[in-house]
Amino acid sequence: MEIDRRAFIASLGGAAAVNLMDHEAKAEALEHYMEEKLDEMVAAQQPEKFPTVAEIEAQIETRNFRRGAGGLFASGRGNMQKLPPMPAKPTLKDFFELRFNPANHVLQSATRAMKTGMSEEVILACLLHDCVLSLIKPDHGWWGAQLFEPYIPEKSAFAIRYHQTLRFYPDEDAGYEYPDQYYRIFGHDYTPPAYIEQTYKMLKNHKWYMEPRLVTVNDLYAFDPNAKVSFEPFQDIVGRHFKQPKEGLGFDNSPSAHMWRTLARPDSPL
Amino acid sequence: MTKTLLSGIAVSALTAVVVTAQGAGKPAMPGLDVTVTKVERAATASLRDCPPGSNTVTAITRPGEQFALVTVSFKVAPSFKPAPMKRPTITDSGDKKFNTAATFVDVGSVPEFSCTFPFRVPEGTKLKALQIESTSYDLSALESK
Repeated sequence: MEIDRRAFIASLGGAAAVNLMDHEAKAEALEHYMEEKLDEMVAAQQPEKFPTVAEIEAQIETRNFRRGAGGLFASGRGNMQKLPPMPAKPTLKDFFELRFNPANHVLQSATRAMKTGMSEEVILACLLHDCVLSLIKPDHGWWGAQLFEPYIPEKSAFAIRYHQTLRFYPDEDAGYEYPDQYYRIFGHDYTPPAYIEQTYKMLKNHKWYMEPRLVTVNDLYAFDPNAKVSFEPFQDIVGRHFKQPKEGLGFDNSPSAHMWRTLARPDSPL
Repeated sequence: MTKTLLSGIAVSALTAVVVTAQGAGKPAMPGLDVTVTKVERAATASLRDCPPGSNTVTAITRPGEQFALVTVSFKVAPSFKPAPMKRPTITDSGDKKFNTAATFVDVGSVPEFSCTFPFRVPEGTKLKALQIESTSYDLSALESK
C-alpha cells in the first residue's frame, strides 16, 4: 500500500506532534492509518449497485410527496420552516438570498465558468440554470428558461432551456462525462424520452450548441461541499445582463411574473 | 515481532520513492514543475478540477471502455505566471488522441498539488504519452508497472 506521507503526518496533528511520539506509538499510528486506508480502498473497489428504472418507480408509493415538487414545496426531511418575507419590489439577489438559498450548486457552477473564462451569457446561464428547482423539477430546463426569459439575453435562456437535454449525452471533447448520479436518480437502464432525443438531434447541429453544453460541463464540477461561494462576484454580470423590473420580480406583468410570485409566496393555499 | 514488522513498514512506507516520468524538453508552463506519478485503470473516475477540490461527482464508463487515470504532481515556483491552460490529452500507441474532462482552474492558487486526469479509452488501450500544453510526457514506462 502506498502511503501519502504528508496526509499521514497531518492525520497525527502535524510534524510537531509526530516528533513527540516514540517509535512504538508511531508504528501503532501507522498501523491504524493503514487499516483505515485499506477499509477505504476495499469500499472503493466495491461497485455501487445502481437501481433500475422499475426500482425507482416502485418507490413512488413510499413517499407523501412527488419527486417533481420544487424544493420550496417538499423537503423530504422533516417539516417546512417559515420563510422570511420578501421585500415589496424583490430583485434577483433577493430571490437568491431568501428563496433559492443556499443555491450553492449554481453559485459554484457560475464561479467555475467565470474562472475558466467563459462568456458572460454562459456565466449568467450557469448562475441561473437550476434556480427553478425551487419551484418545480420535471423539465426544469424549459421551466427555468421560461422563468428568466423576459429578463436575460436570448443565448442565456437557450443555454438554460437545453442544458437539461445535453446532460444525458456525454461529450468528451467538450469535457462532459455522464455522471453516476444519473444512474442513481433515473436508474442505470434509463433512456431519455423521445422528445429529449429529438431535442438532442436539433442541438447537435445548432450554432449555439456550446452554450448549453458549457452549462452541463460546469454543472458536473459544482458539487463540492467545501466550496465557498457567494452572489457578490456576479453582481456586475447580473447588472449588465439581467433586466431587473422596477416594479420588482413578480409585479411587472411579464409572462413569468406569476412564477416569481409563486416562488415568493409558496405557502399561499390558492 | 508485529511491532518490529510495523516499524519496518513505517520506514519503507514513509520513504517510498515515487516513480516518475520525465517530460521531454521545456516545461509545460514556465515556473510549473510537472511530474507524472501514476497510471491506473478504473471503471469510474472522480470528476475534479486541477488543482482538485472536493467535488463529489463520479463519471462512469460504458461497456468496452475504461478510464485511464493519469496522476500528475505539480509544483508552482514563484516565477509562475497564471495563464489559461488547455486540458491535457493523451495518445495511445497508435497515436490516437484522447481528451479528459478535467480542467485546469486557478493553477497557482496553491504551491503544490496533485491531479488525477481521467481519460475514457477502449479497454486495453496502451498509453504512449501525456500532453500538457506543448510538452509531452512519456507514459509507456508507467504503463508496464
